[in-house]
Amino acid sequence: MNDTEKTLKTASQLLEQWMWMTEVTRPEPNRLDARLKTSDDLIPIVAGLRVIRLGYLCAITGLDPGLESGELEVLYHFCVGEAVITLRLNVPRQDGCLPSLCEIIPSAEVFERELQEMFGIRIEGLRNPSRLYLPDDWPEDVFPLRKDFDQDKLRSYVTLGDC
Amino acid sequence: MEEHKTAQSFTVPIGPQHPALKEPSHFRITVDGEIVKDAYVRLGYAHRGIEKATESRTWTQNLYMLERICGICSHIHGMTYCLAVERLAQVQVSARAQAIRVLFAELERIHSHMLWFGVTAHEAGFDTLFMYSWRDRETVMDILEELSGNRVNYSANILGGVKFDVDESRVESILDGINFLEERTHYYLEVVSTDALFLQRTHEIGTMNRREAEVLGTVGPTARASGVNRDIRIEAPYAAYDQFPIQITLDDSGDLKARVLVRLRELFESYRVIRQILKNLPSGDLTVRMPRRIQQGETVLRVEAPRGELFYFIRSNGSDTPDRIKVRTPTICNMMSVIKLAVGHQLADVPMILAGIDPCFSCNDRMVMINQSNKTSHRWRWEELRQHGINYYQQRTA
Repeated sequence: MNDTEKTLKTASQLLEQWMWMTEVTRPEPNRLDARLKTSDDLIPIVAGLRVIRLGYLCAITGLDPGLESGELEVLYHFCVGEAVITLRLNVPRQDGCLPSLCEIIPSAEVFERELQEMFGIRIEGLRNPSRLYLPDDWPEDVFPLRKDFDQDKLRSYVTLGDC
Repeated sequence: MEEHKTAQSFTVPIGPQHPALKEPSHFRITVDGEIVKDAYVRLGYAHRGIEKATESRTWTQNLYMLERICGICSHIHGMTYCLAVERLAQVQVSARAQAIRVLFAELERIHSHMLWFGVTAHEAGFDTLFMYSWRDRETVMDILEELSGNRVNYSANILGGVKFDVDESRVESILDGINFLEERTHYYLEVVSTDALFLQRTHEIGTMNRREAEVLGTVGPTARASGVNRDIRIEAPYAAYDQFPIQITLDDSGDLKARVLVRLRELFESYRVIRQILKNLPSGDLTVRMPRRIQQGETVLRVEAPRGELFYFIRSNGSDTPDRIKVRTPTICNMMSVIKLAVGHQLADVPMILAGIDPCFSCNDRMVMINQSNKTSHRWRWEELRQHGINYYQQRTA
């Protein structure tokens, strides 16, 4: 636990002092959540975490808080030992856009492509922005992991014989 | 992805029908003569929409669905989900139940590694070894069946504990099986490090140094074979791994041979832990009561699946269904290393390099739409499929 505490302390120092606009919380003993105000902060903070070699990018989670908020939420989970450091960002539902982390973390590509097709958040700077999981004939403006995804609407896109 | 069509290079499409394992994935490999110049992968052929489907099912129903993400490592998905939900509900599960979970997890690791070992031997054209390892794997399948009644999808977990107890009368036969497997694993280790033909296919093939393994984001035995010191069972012990600690298995050479050796050596750790658990099984109830609604909150849970780190993010909004379950499986992390490693190798090495990460496509892909269509004129919807299932079983029983 000491190591975890030390890691989380280093991370919170980096996040709170270097980026004075971030809000840092501790939802669980081994976790630290930092809410970034704008997506402009993302690349510098991730670069900062890389420079001090704090953790590796474990996953990127997309969340849909619901239609009324008009936003989507993206979580970047960095893990080291037991500790999980999560960077949280809100992105507008309409034309949401995030910079790609691939320049700093090449392995982010698959996570970003998944996020892009499942939530409809455009990732700028992807070397290969094509579909990862969804079929080639999947409609452009249907994002399955959003809460307003409608199966019946999807059926109307698919007609007999176009498979 | 641009296709190279110069005079020298040629693009070979492989799959989606079983490129190495009997699972679907499509590869486009650009070769110049026999040498791979570029590789591209298309996933999603086994994507079933499980993450989305969890949002419309109750916490209990989801357990059974998540267990079916993977047919090989089913227990680990069920266990991770249970551990995460129990953490959200702040329910303390008994030490006995946690130890039995670890017991199942390690038995599953043995069965998964043995299965993979056979496939790799088969890919290398060493079918005798493939048949040996699959025959021996039956031993661990029998143990699993004896404990749970099932060979795969043991369904040992329930929210709040486990379903199956390990009673004294079974301990001996499990230990006999483990002793036999240990003896066989020693033999396999000898074969893979001395057989000239097998070494030809594995030694210094698909080499990845530690730095590359980290940059490519590999996990599990694939990363440990390149000297990356990371095993979630040690780093962040879950279930009963703090009482039954694991020693890390590392290899620095980073080639296919190292990946084979790491997985085989890992088995000895599994055997050791299984013996330890059977000897010191804590007492306690198998289950504790769980609430039907899980209180609001978010949690992250990471475990070491047979193929590497498995990541779950669960968010509850206080109702009887989850708000979001995110699953990040190990194969997706390792898959990109295949694309990078294949470049510069012979086309003939591609199946072995792919098999080397122990890919699991159904882990990878979790979604495909409910609309089934075929080339003629008939298309099934979910309701029709369901009806078909009902009719089929009615006819069978009639």
